[in-house]
Amino acid sequence: MGFWDKLVNLLGLKKKEVNILVVGLNNSGKSTIINHFKNEEEKLPEIVPTVGFNVEKFKNRNVGFTAFDMSGQGRYRDLWEHYYKDCQGVVFVIDSSDRLRLVVVREELDLLLQHPDISGRRFPVLFFANKMDVRDALSSVKIAAGLGLERILDKPWHICASNALTGEGLQEGVEWLTQQVREVVSNRS
Amino acid sequence: MSAFRRDKKEEEEGSGNPFQNIEKTTVLQETRTFNDTPVNPRKCTHILTKILYLLNQGEQLSTTEATEAFFAMTKLFQSRDVILRRMVYLGIKELSAIAEDLIIVTSSLTKDMTGKEDLYRAAAIRALCSITDVTTLQGIERYMKQAIVDRNSAVSSAALVSSLHLTKIAGDVVKRWVNEVQEAVNSDSVMVQYHALGVLYHIRKSDRLAVNKLVAKLSHMSLKSPYAVCMLIRIACKLLEDEDSSGGGSSDSPLFEFIESCLRHKSEMVIYEAAHAIVNLRRTTSRELAPAVSVLQLFCSSPKPTLRFAAVRTLNKVAMSHPEAVTACNLDLENLITDSNRSVATLAITTLLKTGAESSVDRLMKQIASFVSEISDEFKIVVVQAIRALCLKFPRKHSVLMNFLSAMLRDEGGLEYKASIADTIITIIEENPEAKETGLAHLCEFIEDCEHTSLAVRILHLLGKEGPRTKQPSRYIRFIYNRVILENAPVRAAAVAAMAQFGAACPDLLPNIQVLLARCQMDTDDEVRDRATYYYSILETQDKPLANHYIVEGLQVSIPSLERALHQYTMNPTDVPFDMKCVPLAAVPSEEIVNPSAKGGQADGMLISAASSGSKVLAVAATVSREESYAEKLRSVPELVAFGPLFRSSEPVELTESETEYVVRCIKHSFPQHLVLQFDCVNTLSDQLLENVRVEVETPTGYQLVQEIPCPRLSYSETGTAYLVFQFPEELGATVGTFNATLKFLVKDCDPATGLPDSDEGYDDEYMLEDFEVTLGDQIQKVTKANFGAAWEEAGATHCELADTYSLSNMGTLEEAVKNIISFLGMQPVERSDRIPEGKSSHTLLLAGVFRGGYEILVQVKLALAAAVTMQLTVRSTNPEVAELVTSAVG
Repeated sequence: MGFWDKLVNLLGLKKKEVNILVVGLNNSGKSTIINHFKNEEEKLPEIVPTVGFNVEKFKNRNVGFTAFDMSGQGRYRDLWEHYYKDCQGVVFVIDSSDRLRLVVVREELDLLLQHPDISGRRFPVLFFANKMDVRDALSSVKIAAGLGLERILDKPWHICASNALTGEGLQEGVEWLTQQVREVVSNRS
Repeated sequence: MSAFRRDKKEEEEGSGNPFQNIEKTTVLQETRTFNDTPVNPRKCTHILTKILYLLNQGEQLSTTEATEAFFAMTKLFQSRDVILRRMVYLGIKELSAIAEDLIIVTSSLTKDMTGKEDLYRAAAIRALCSITDVTTLQGIERYMKQAIVDRNSAVSSAALVSSLHLTKIAGDVVKRWVNEVQEAVNSDSVMVQYHALGVLYHIRKSDRLAVNKLVAKLSHMSLKSPYAVCMLIRIACKLLEDEDSSGGGSSDSPLFEFIESCLRHKSEMVIYEAAHAIVNLRRTTSRELAPAVSVLQLFCSSPKPTLRFAAVRTLNKVAMSHPEAVTACNLDLENLITDSNRSVATLAITTLLKTGAESSVDRLMKQIASFVSEISDEFKIVVVQAIRALCLKFPRKHSVLMNFLSAMLRDEGGLEYKASIADTIITIIEENPEAKETGLAHLCEFIEDCEHTSLAVRILHLLGKEGPRTKQPSRYIRFIYNRVILENAPVRAAAVAAMAQFGAACPDLLPNIQVLLARCQMDTDDEVRDRATYYYSILETQDKPLANHYIVEGLQVSIPSLERALHQYTMNPTDVPFDMKCVPLAAVPSEEIVNPSAKGGQADGMLISAASSGSKVLAVAATVSREESYAEKLRSVPELVAFGPLFRSSEPVELTESETEYVVRCIKHSFPQHLVLQFDCVNTLSDQLLENVRVEVETPTGYQLVQEIPCPRLSYSETGTAYLVFQFPEELGATVGTFNATLKFLVKDCDPATGLPDSDEGYDDEYMLEDFEVTLGDQIQKVTKANFGAAWEEAGATHCELADTYSLSNMGTLEEAVKNIISFLGMQPVERSDRIPEGKSSHTLLLAGVFRGGYEILVQVKLALAAAVTMQLTVRSTNPEVAELVTSAVG
């Protein structure tokens, strides 16, 4: 790395670019959350079930995020692992009104965390307890307990309740993520 | 220093192919660069290019390698570089056949396809359709429909062409897009209109009425796109041909009027297409041909070489079928002989040869000789074909033409060219007995210096067949034995076989042949030695019938069946010797009419000819190995295995009209003692499910029903098969008879969409079928005899003979009589005795066949034409009952 790059990095002027992976069960609101962060002109009027994945870009406080918005449908979940290797952050979206499938979520989360490409590395994991507006939605605390998040010791994690339709709670989550990313990057350099 | 040297080396090679030395494994390693963040578009584009290059060079990737490369490629979707993205599309298309989990890019491609960037949209559609299968098509159906009617013509075209490809995997889904496609036909863009018409035709092509309507509508609409008009002309032609073959064609059909009106179109392409179409229609009369030919005549003097070439090429073809129509253009064609384009000149000369009179042949041949060395092999073949046609037309000119051919034979040329010359000479020899000796002499000279093994073998075989019957057989021996001394093993083996033929047929040459064969027993090659020993010992016995059986006549059984039978035999060790009789005999392939336009046919539009040429290929394959393919199918039915090897299968007989509720066709299979009737049934009612489908037959006297195998279940548009097995009557006279058949089944009403029955209850129903006959021909397999005379004489001693005289009052000509007799007896005419020289009032027809059970039949039919045809029929057979059956069947 050249001197100039070092200097720019030190001052935090250079725009940072990170890849993040957005995963979660189907119909939990992943694409809707990503849609919220996009520029006005790029926003889609309607969200359809993703087949495979979509790449979207958005920015927050000088950090550029490239989000791999994965499909959550059962038969495509096996394909997530192809994208584990080069991600510098994971956003895990949970439908907090879907009590029934919380065990499925837990299973998928465990699989994700035990994967060789994930387990040894340190990067931030952000949980969105989405659909908090639904009447009998679980609170973020209950979800954290249900998923056993306290077991995650080697990665910084954060959970926040959100409503992707109105955008409530999303900004808070991304702020946390941005901060974590900055820390990890500056630690590394 | 070393780096410098390498640079220099690279520089030197730089003018060549920059991708010359790339290696698969290195390139696949490099795909890891795709995972870097941020993506480096230039580098990645270069790597993608390398992958595409490798794939196009024929490099094979394994599924894992392809899948890994594919997933690495998917990460490039994060880059917004236009060039890189389009390379990714190409990569996806190339890998779509090999890699797994292609589905992963569906959403990304859908996004690009519907996005704002026009550069992405068309390419994304093509890539998306290449990764789509039936299950995922539903998901993108909506987007495809939108794309078809998109304002952007590139997008619309891409969607239409992709739909056409998708019809292969999901025809039903594409059919639902018909409204959108219809709208696209009205598009302003030339290409979109053409592609839309293609898709529309493809959707409707199985429904003739709909195609008719489509053509009628569009021919009045005056399409803007010349490509679409050309397409429409081709569709109209196909309709016309279909109409003709079903017999309903009238000379002033609106379709023909439309094609004719296209001769006055403003685009040259359309004018040519219309002229070409009219010329190629089978039914065109010379009156209808006139305007088309005059258009082509105009093209002949066009300044554009492509037009001249197209016109001459088409005229060349017409000259085959309607020489008199082309005569009008002779003057223009004469001018084209000196055309600077040699291809045009060749075609012009050969056309003139076809239309010209006998007197002009010498002059034209001289002109060809002046530039034959300047043209390519492909056109030399055209010349050879023209000469072949000339020989058949003017047999008296054979010496001039034969000399010319032999001169060409000595020139340089590829295998295909040489083969076509040899073919021509062989045809001339067969057609024209006068030319035989000179022709054989030319061929002998040719094999003295022939580098093509396959050709040399063929000619040696011909020499063996024809040589012994010439006036001076001894002169060919030297040429043949020279091959044994000078050539490679396959040619030597063929030469040995040819010599043996001489030994068997010419007793005065036998001692010399034996000496030569004895020498061949010392050959270095196994095959040659084996053959020599085999022939030597047979000839040594001086046993004429033995030699006839094993040298003059070849092996009569079908080779694939023999292989299978031997394989079976070696699998199950037994003490019983292998029985040659249990191998089914080879069906004599029906003679294909040599059609030089068949090759050109493939160049026609892919949509329209694809079906017809495909069916042609199928038809050819079917005639060659009908028995084999049926035998394969019958073997899969365990109940039928016990009846021994299949002896003969008949052509399918339709037992219903083609447009009825149930379509049934019957195929009669003869086994040594049993008759198996195979009923192929198709259910054309979408709201019915048939169960326990069987055919009931009124058993004729003598026959015994052995087994009935019904078809358990027959759903909509499926073909099911039911079998009936009979034992043939002991008395052969009773084997010929009529069967009345009825189709019986259990009907269950079902939902047309799902095919599931509404209830478990059904009701019995039946359906009358047409009667069919089991004839003599169904029990006889055709075989050939190379030397009928010898076989006939030999049979006179060992076989029993029956003779009878008949008067065939209902036949007016000899040709008709010959045709009827052959089709009735189902035997093979040998020694070309089915061709009747013109103007003769008597003829001898020679037939050979084998009756089921392995009884040989030879038939000599003497025909005389007076007021009606009188026929004297002599049958020789190893089984008297069979001979009786043949004579009684004719009466």
